[in-house]
Amino acid sequence: MLTEGGEAPTDGEARTALGQFALRFRVSGVAAFLLLLGVAFTLLRPQFIAPGNLSAIISNAAILAIVAAAQAVVLITRNLDVSVGSIMGFSAYLTADFAARHPHVGPALVLMPLTIGGALGALNGVLVAYGRVSPLIATLGTMSVYRGLTYVYARGQEITASRLPAWMNALPEVRIAGVRLLVVIAIIVVCLLAAFLRFYPLGRRMYAVGSNVSASAFFGLRTQRVVLFAYILGAVLCGLAGFLYAVRVGTVTVVLASGWELTSLAAAVIGGVSVAGGSGNVIGAALGAVVLATIDNGLVLLGIPEFWRMFIQGAAIVLAATADMIIAGQVRNALRARRRIARAAP
Amino acid sequence: MKLHTTLFAGAGIALALGLGDSAALAKDSGFKIMMTPKWTGFPYFEAAAKGGREAAAELGDQFVYAGADHADVSLQVETLQNFLAQKPDAIELAAIDLNAVAPVLKQALKRGITVTTFDADAAQDARDMFVNQLSYKQAAKTMLDCALLDSPRGGEIAFVAASPTAPNHTAHIKYMKEYIKDDPKYQVFKVVDTQYANDDDAKSYDVAINLMQAHPDLKVIISSSAVSAPAGARAISASGHVGKVFSTGFALPSAIKGYLKDGSEKCFALWDPEELGYLATYATHLKLAGKLDLKPGTTFEAGKAGEYTVGDGGEIVYGKALMFTKDNVDKFNF
Amino acid sequence: MIRKLPQWELTLVVLTLAAGAWSAYLSPYYLSLDQIAYSTRQFVFPGILAIGLAVVVILGEIDISLASTLAFGAVLFSKFSAFGAPIWIATPLVTAACAALGTLNGVLVARFGLPSLAVTLGTMGAFRGLAFILGSETGYTGFDDSYLYVGSEQAFGLVPVSFILFLVIALAVSVLMRRTVFGRRCYAIGLNKEASWAAGIDVARIKVMAYALAGALAGVAALVWIGQYGSARGDNADGAILFVVTAVVLGGLDINGGRGAILGVVLALFLLGTMRNGMGLANVAGPIQTIVLGGLLIVGVLRPILFQGAVRGYRFAFSRQAVASN
Repeated sequence: MLTEGGEAPTDGEARTALGQFALRFRVSGVAAFLLLLGVAFTLLRPQFIAPGNLSAIISNAAILAIVAAAQAVVLITRNLDVSVGSIMGFSAYLTADFAARHPHVGPALVLMPLTIGGALGALNGVLVAYGRVSPLIATLGTMSVYRGLTYVYARGQEITASRLPAWMNALPEVRIAGVRLLVVIAIIVVCLLAAFLRFYPLGRRMYAVGSNVSASAFFGLRTQRVVLFAYILGAVLCGLAGFLYAVRVGTVTVVLASGWELTSLAAAVIGGVSVAGGSGNVIGAALGAVVLATIDNGLVLLGIPEFWRMFIQGAAIVLAATADMIIAGQVRNALRARRRIARAAP
Repeated sequence: MKLHTTLFAGAGIALALGLGDSAALAKDSGFKIMMTPKWTGFPYFEAAAKGGREAAAELGDQFVYAGADHADVSLQVETLQNFLAQKPDAIELAAIDLNAVAPVLKQALKRGITVTTFDADAAQDARDMFVNQLSYKQAAKTMLDCALLDSPRGGEIAFVAASPTAPNHTAHIKYMKEYIKDDPKYQVFKVVDTQYANDDDAKSYDVAINLMQAHPDLKVIISSSAVSAPAGARAISASGHVGKVFSTGFALPSAIKGYLKDGSEKCFALWDPEELGYLATYATHLKLAGKLDLKPGTTFEAGKAGEYTVGDGGEIVYGKALMFTKDNVDKFNF
Repeated sequence: MIRKLPQWELTLVVLTLAAGAWSAYLSPYYLSLDQIAYSTRQFVFPGILAIGLAVVVILGEIDISLASTLAFGAVLFSKFSAFGAPIWIATPLVTAACAALGTLNGVLVARFGLPSLAVTLGTMGAFRGLAFILGSETGYTGFDDSYLYVGSEQAFGLVPVSFILFLVIALAVSVLMRRTVFGRRCYAIGLNKEASWAAGIDVARIKVMAYALAGALAGVAALVWIGQYGSARGDNADGAILFVVTAVVLGGLDINGGRGAILGVVLALFLLGTMRNGMGLANVAGPIQTIVLGGLLIVGVLRPILFQGAVRGYRFAFSRQAVASN
């Protein structure tokens, strides 16, 4: 959407060695970056590698991982959703308010944020796909509208943990085989989504639309429907994430998840999802969320002053984007080399 | 002659009317008081507005409450600018950045508008009075007293503030550190860390989790942010640190009731934001009516809120700290 | 007839006038020359940022780090003021430093081929971090009066100096984009990068220059900021970038590059400014203002479709009428 992927320099076989390795082991830039980060923090503060700390990082990253994956789905179709935070806030507030008034409704309540999210996403999708509005503008607008509606609905109130039903308050402590339910849900959601995008025809069409809209349309893809579907799917996930956020933090306010539009974009971009559409995957985006949580955690462990943290986080995003571009370039070269060898062979 | 008398009489009447007019200027009700919080939609400020509206109704004043829906200083200045154009008698505000609001407030003062800050002060020369909820020292002491209830034998403590640029939070931390250094009662504590969470609940939660990882012997997390303290309590109970780590600081009783009741936390503190808004508006009204001299040492009666004394630099300390425990938390409805 | 005003710009003018009338209806305090002239101050600093961003957007890129660059500039001004440097030395140096930050963005985007959203998302945090590191926790207020002049004074006792500065900048950049080789190349690159490259345009160089220009304008915006708010802190203009992006896209610039004019951005700022001023004077609740501005953005960009629909409906009715009359 905003730029083309740069072509990395292509000289020498030594350079493609990295590409061969990346290709063989499916190492993406973000995994390598995460590993580097982990090694650095462990060397500086061995406490980092303690199982308790690693699980703290993962559970801090879980909700953002879902939102980053949702953002990735939209990005893959060469679009953008900056209303993710507002969708989370709107669906979480309405759901929590409903739960506070009707405490007897059990876990079936989860359907509520999903539905609300889906409806809000459908509006975004219709505006972008059928209204042909630039995705940035459309979702900037709905971001304000959804957030404003949340304020109007809440009338200066917030929903506190003591008003939420007991099962919602107990949820964050539930563990399955020693792993937090929250983390289990995030992993399942991200894996299902990855499988869907890779193996399901509709999923593959999203990549096709993102790579080249006009070609996709030429080959008979209903591109508008695909884009609409991507927005709905992403927003349903945001609804889920909003619900999990409410359950986790306990106090549901009107500002819930404001600012997450940029955080989720950052996670997706660190995870190698191209804002130009058609490339990247949701697992990368989820790992991007883990990278952000790791940096947060590591800098607290190291006792880095607040002011430096902002600088380091910003620099990390640029570095991660660079790392991803280099690895992607190397992989391309490796593929080219492989093709050359295949052609040379009789 | 007759004409002259008439003229004189006319002049007399005109004079009398003129005098009457200027007498009416020093009126004692019907003022237009406009209030803006840091941001609207936060229950704490809505409560303060409720108190302000109540005082205004009691005193026969007109009361307007408006502001942006998020804490952005340029939007706050815009709101104040728009207030100014509506020619109010007084402006009340909780400043986001004490310096950035100063130019527009000084303009208000120049036009004879009374400026009152509450909750968070503006630069001293840009307002008439500051209605402070608790003096910084009192706030620091109250939070440490709460921490002592949590962990009577002391231990490691960490602070969570909104941002390094939040003046009251940094002042609270400064005085808490002083108390811990100088006062034997609090010397059982050891400060190990200070973190920032931007008044954001998810960030506060993550920061609390990370603090517990970074400092395995941590006993108490103290926060002056009414967003961070409840989120910290949630993080502690969800991560299985109940009884080992405590969260305390300022929080709305409705937000922490559950944690006090189930015993996972022992004490939080605050003041009554509604009465704070009431006091700010009441004092503003008295100043407008010419019944309040802002010289240090002046005492005045603020309706049902009680009696107060003006301190140095036009500071009026509300000073009624509330400590919430499981025994009294039900008595508060905000 | 005067030169044909593009349709979108015309719509913005009409909308602004409508918003003005609506504001006058909402609040008795709106319709006063003093008030309106003074209220223009509110959108000068985001306006200058928006003009810088517009140049980058015309190239088909984006820069969301501009508000952070402003914070860096404001803190840098405070350093010069504390050092006692005269304003005519401080201004070019700060502007140059901000241009350097912009150049860094440009190099990362154009020479390294990184996506601009990713780069400026990162530098948005990094530059603000720099501003915090350079400044202190309490912020600086002791500016010399000469530093405050642009942002705080009014010319002829009526029009804010900062607003005049904004108009001058808008005019200069508009001429730059319309009448110079640089400007025409910007549009060419935004429309078709490959063709521009094939035509021998140094695409990377033009892009770096555009980012540098946007950065420099953020430095000028910092001068307005310190005058208007008298405060320099790391968190200056935090959160302003969304308003800036809104103004640019509402101004009719194609986010994919190549289309739109600076005039549109200026008119969009007038519209947004008028609406915020009117609603603020009527003490409309913050959330409602947010909804109205968000709704305006959506309706604004749906305009072509709504317009087409209206035309189609009219034609339909007309043809039926024609049939009926036969």
